[in-house]
Amino acid sequence: MYSKYAVKHFYFFVLVLLANQVIAQTNKDSIPENALTGIVIDSKSQQPLAGAVVQAKDLPLEVITDKNGRFLLKGIRQLPVVLLITYVGYERLEQTVSSRVNQFQLQPKPGDLNEVVVVGYGTQKRSDITGSVAKINPAELKRIPVASFDAQLQGASPGLQVISNSGVPGEAAFVRVRGTTSINSSSDPLYIIDGVFLNNNSLQTTNLGGRTTSPLADINPADIESIEVLKDASATAIYGSRGANGVIIVTTKKGQYNAKPKLSLAISNGWVEADKTTLPKLASGPETARLANEYWINSGIDNPALNRTFANRPFRPKAEGGAGLPEEQETYDRLGDLLRKGRVQDYNLSLEGGTNGSRYYLGAGYTDQDAFFKVIGFNRVGVKFNFDQKLTDRISFGLTNNFSRSYRNQARTGDGPQVSLWNSAVSAATYSPKFAEDGTSVGSDNTYVLMENYAVNTKSIRYVGSAYLDAQLAKGLKFRSSFSLDYNTYDEAQYWNSKTSIGRAANGQAISAISQNNTWINEQTLTYQTKWGLHGLTALAGNTIQSSDLAYTYAEGRGFANDNYRLISAASIQTSSESYTKFTLSSLFGRIGYNYASRYFAEATVRADGSSKFGANKRWGYFPAFSVGWRMKEESFLKNLSWLNELKLRASYGITGNQSGIDNFASRGLWSGGSGYADVAGTPLPGIGPRQLGNQNLSWEKTAQTDIGIDLSLNNNRLSITADWYRKYTSGILLQQPLPSSSGFSSYWENVGELSNTGWELTIQHVNLNERNFSWRTSLNISGNRNKIERLPTPITRYTRDWVILQEGYSMNSFWLYQQLYVDPKTGDAVFEGQEDGLTVEDRKIMNSFYPKFYGGITNSFTYRQFDLSFLFSFQYGNYSLNLQRYFRERNPLSGGVLTNLSNRWQKEGDQTDMPRLTSVGNNYSLDQNSRYLEDASFLRLRQLSLGYNLPAKWAHRALLKSARVYAVATNLFLLTKYTGDPESNVTSDPTAQGIGSFGTPPQPRGFQFGLNLTL
Amino acid sequence: MKKIIVPISILAVVQFSSCKKILEVDPVEFTSDDITIVDENSARTAVRGVYNQLASNGYYGYTFQTLGFFSGDNIQYTGSQTVNNQLTNHDVKADLSALSTAWSAIYNTINRANHVIEKVPALTSTSTLTQAVKDQLVGEAYFIRAISYFDLARTWGGVQLVLEPTKSASERPSLSRSTLEETYQQVISDLETAEGLLPATTNRIRATRKTVWALRSRVHLYRQEWALAETYASQLLDDVANYALVQPYQNFFANNSSNTSESVLELYYSTAVTNNQASQWLPTTKGGVGWIRPTDQLVQLLNDPGRGGNRSSLLQKQVISGVDNWFGNLYYRADRTDPAFLIRVAEVLLNRAEARANQDKLETALTDLNKIRSRAGIPLLEETADKNELLLAIEQERRLEFALENHRWYDLVRTNRAAAVLGITDPNKLVLPLPFRELLVDPQLVQNPGYGE
Repeated sequence: MYSKYAVKHFYFFVLVLLANQVIAQTNKDSIPENALTGIVIDSKSQQPLAGAVVQAKDLPLEVITDKNGRFLLKGIRQLPVVLLITYVGYERLEQTVSSRVNQFQLQPKPGDLNEVVVVGYGTQKRSDITGSVAKINPAELKRIPVASFDAQLQGASPGLQVISNSGVPGEAAFVRVRGTTSINSSSDPLYIIDGVFLNNNSLQTTNLGGRTTSPLADINPADIESIEVLKDASATAIYGSRGANGVIIVTTKKGQYNAKPKLSLAISNGWVEADKTTLPKLASGPETARLANEYWINSGIDNPALNRTFANRPFRPKAEGGAGLPEEQETYDRLGDLLRKGRVQDYNLSLEGGTNGSRYYLGAGYTDQDAFFKVIGFNRVGVKFNFDQKLTDRISFGLTNNFSRSYRNQARTGDGPQVSLWNSAVSAATYSPKFAEDGTSVGSDNTYVLMENYAVNTKSIRYVGSAYLDAQLAKGLKFRSSFSLDYNTYDEAQYWNSKTSIGRAANGQAISAISQNNTWINEQTLTYQTKWGLHGLTALAGNTIQSSDLAYTYAEGRGFANDNYRLISAASIQTSSESYTKFTLSSLFGRIGYNYASRYFAEATVRADGSSKFGANKRWGYFPAFSVGWRMKEESFLKNLSWLNELKLRASYGITGNQSGIDNFASRGLWSGGSGYADVAGTPLPGIGPRQLGNQNLSWEKTAQTDIGIDLSLNNNRLSITADWYRKYTSGILLQQPLPSSSGFSSYWENVGELSNTGWELTIQHVNLNERNFSWRTSLNISGNRNKIERLPTPITRYTRDWVILQEGYSMNSFWLYQQLYVDPKTGDAVFEGQEDGLTVEDRKIMNSFYPKFYGGITNSFTYRQFDLSFLFSFQYGNYSLNLQRYFRERNPLSGGVLTNLSNRWQKEGDQTDMPRLTSVGNNYSLDQNSRYLEDASFLRLRQLSLGYNLPAKWAHRALLKSARVYAVATNLFLLTKYTGDPESNVTSDPTAQGIGSFGTPPQPRGFQFGLNLTL
Repeated sequence: MKKIIVPISILAVVQFSSCKKILEVDPVEFTSDDITIVDENSARTAVRGVYNQLASNGYYGYTFQTLGFFSGDNIQYTGSQTVNNQLTNHDVKADLSALSTAWSAIYNTINRANHVIEKVPALTSTSTLTQAVKDQLVGEAYFIRAISYFDLARTWGGVQLVLEPTKSASERPSLSRSTLEETYQQVISDLETAEGLLPATTNRIRATRKTVWALRSRVHLYRQEWALAETYASQLLDDVANYALVQPYQNFFANNSSNTSESVLELYYSTAVTNNQASQWLPTTKGGVGWIRPTDQLVQLLNDPGRGGNRSSLLQKQVISGVDNWFGNLYYRADRTDPAFLIRVAEVLLNRAEARANQDKLETALTDLNKIRSRAGIPLLEETADKNELLLAIEQERRLEFALENHRWYDLVRTNRAAAVLGITDPNKLVLPLPFRELLVDPQLVQNPGYGE
């Protein structure tokens, strides 16, 4: 026992001090004249790296490190000199050297086998992992101007589907890890930042046209060190109840022990602007007027009772009492007036370093992003402080702190008739003057009035932090206790003055809504690690107690004396409300991992969770998982194959649960108060009534997942491939099971229904070229997923007009439409499937789905001397979207603007088109659920293109800098799609109504940013 | 090994001892349905809860009303939910969302009433919760259940008669649709019960025995029980001290009027519980969206001094881009507290006129009719010997008198005039299809003929 201990310590000692010893020795002994020596090590593992290429810049000198990572470079006549060190799988290092004895630390590149990966309650070496975990290095992704880090991850990882619903900074993105596993409860992944379970449910309560903000935007991406995506059950089961939708672990920067203070400054500035290819293309004033006449006259022919004729057409000569002939109409470009170049700025200052016993990271950041159209903007001030202190050899403690204030200048976009800023500019007919002759606004809300008078904003104050204590109880046995907090105050304020339609109706209206979300978690873990012979064992046991509450107060004032009074205290009618809700979770978990000779791996995990949300008898759920791994490369028959660097097979099976997203009291039978009436007129009094039927048997939704994967690395790690196949089967879905309304209720919560997701993921990374001055790498990830509703007793329809349906045997978010077969070339009328015996609801068909057949991203990165260039394409294929923009704007040119697309309509006998004759009568343009608006929304998008230049270390050094970098980033430069508009746009953030596209929704902008990073 | 086991067991003990307490979280915003109607206060608040649902957005607050609005020829829908034109075109598909919204709001009202009907009589009487108070509360619930089934019957035909409150999802009675006759019998039976329980007081926002009389005059008219209709109308109209036409016409709604002597039953709205009609009716310049508007034909009729008279006060004009646009004016209050007018004295008078005319009491029928015409400021009708001519005059008068209230469609259907006036050739279209959603969920329901299946 003693000897093993000693050996291990000695080994460790050697590792850490190897460099110093080498240096000490060589110092003492002789370094040849004009020579330079050093050791190259892995910055994370501190292991020496054999075979690294060391070049002297601007000199024809090059050596390769020996098996101890050491090298000797001869022919250096004078110092300083710039050394360039490259090694496959590691970041290129360029360092100015002024000493003859040196140590160089290389940073592993993401995806490499030796890298350390953060997993649930611990870290593992990539080569030892038996589950499916993807690591993302967010370095450059941070530059995509979308405020929240989740929206930046599109195309970055296999199995991770990210859709930016709109071009508004700080809005919620749609994120799925390996498909959607639930219907009424949440299918969002679990976000963990430095061990803190992060709330990612928007606290927004006021109506923004169906859109919600992203609580993840409170986190400054600049502070993020790495992001891990945990996908299969073996990786997520340790989070048991929370793991079914995948887990995204965010690790922030920590500083390093024994490191000099490093001051970094990052500045970027740029703008976002409209992407002309995705903007709605509105017909000109004269064209819209011509269409209006046609619509008028055709409608009159179809239904003479309407009394619409050529003689009384709206756009007839003014002398005849009309609005003038079509060609006399002006074109008023509201949309053009709404657009702007939105300024995007980002400033980050950080200080990190450490001493023997402590390390720290201090960061301060400011981000300001204006949308590409007027009014809307987002800014965030964030302060970050991470600190770790070793108290003794055995005990250490630490803190993580993240404090931020996010401010949003908001406007309603998306659905809804009132005060919808984007819609106001698109919906008005282009022939309508900006203002009526008397100066008042015309029609629904006026774009110009809204631009001037919008006063809707939100302040989010967020603190996310934790404190921990680590104690080494015995050899290999560690205890850790932590307490963490996620506190968020979300303060929404609106004021509608008398110029806006809401304000006009109410004589001015002011709203203040304040939500406070408070989640605390206490966690204890014990980890044990031991090794005997070729056997390795790790064990983990822990518990968690979590409490989460949400308090909400709302106040509204209506009836203001005039527009100068803006606060509720000045209103004549004041109303208010309050709500409070809470849930608790209590959990125990454990994990045992075993490996033999780092060749065979097995791991078992179990977690027990109790949730206050469920019926008293059904609170506890048990979530086990098992996994095995086989590193075939370690077998004797493969060991000596030099071209094969890694071959590993993985398999896992496990069960995870879900309870998030459902009401905290979903299992209770409830009556609510407040719904009042009066006994005598004028005196409202309280009332009570049934609210919800109870279900004492309500319990956990469970997802069983099988995963089989392979990791392969070839040709000196130049080619690495990771492939996975998985099947997730969710049963006991937490469903708002529809009830016949004759019960007085529309639904109640029940564990009903089953859902499956089957898919595959493939990541290929290849070093195409790795020359002295030039390198080119390609990384491709592609994932396919098939979602199927296996069991659902009653179909569920979604969104207004039931455009989306969930039905057994079909994918989630399929469309439910009347299928337009063709337009009769003779009559110009649309012909629908099943219309012979009258079109009834039975003729509606379930068609396509919002979910893609496959999706992914391709990154190419090049370096040439000091320059680097990379571009990321993201793509989706096989997904459909119902283009609501076309539905609304290709119908009635009398009441609003129309798209130029309408020029393809049927006009005369023989016209072959899918767009029928323009009329208000019949089904041509008045059937809401028309398949004509369903479009293939597959896309390939150049998500990001970046070009950077690193100042040569020599020059940087002269300027007293460690490093300096300038770069330029462009986002969304190119888009390939058949969809009319932005294929990612969704009218609402509601996850069950995804696939309803474009209407009122600003598309994603193009962005251009220029940045400078300095390290002192 | 001991070193590991000790901390683990401490952990486990702490966890399990604390978790029981930690997982007990009770709502503070809502109460358990174990304790609902237990005393006088909860009985009174529960009855107010029934009215609240009657006045809700899905029922008399908006959606139910629009089914009749757009099906008739007085009111048109010009907004973005163009599917509502299915009602106007009498080509309604079962997936029209308004159908489902109204249907569920009405049954929700019935469920609330059923809770009161079952639970209040069982409460122990006290000095303030006397038998009379309990009778009144239960009587009101019976009245509201009656009007709910009446609205279901006249819109969809015979429906499932749920007479017990729903307490759990699993214990619901299995019911198939009753016939139209059975449904009306239930309405009358509930009204009779209510009549016996309610006091003969005057309260225009709550049901009293007098409100029952007024509704009975309407229900019997629908059932062509002319004598009964006349009797009940007279019972109310004889109370001249409390019920009379206000002069002129607009005084029953204009200038923020409510609770006038014209009103027999109107639903009360406050700034906390608002009526959402106004935002749909008002032009954008007044803070609405202006999507629901009077039809061109109605505008002509109301603006005709000889026919509409002072009832043109139901209209307001906005000139937009030089063109006259007509909007309704019955729902206009900025604070959205417009009452929902359910029964007015004018209706009871016209109910009696029609009942009398059908019994060939042409002279007294004409007297009733002329009271309405006189109040509207239009020429009185001369005596006529032609019963049909008089009935047509009453129909025309009802159209204008209740131009923006929810009568026109149901009047045309119950008098078999929908074919002649609205051109509906398919008699199946005189009732609306059951909501598609309900058919999916409830295998007991059978769709009305002519709507698929």
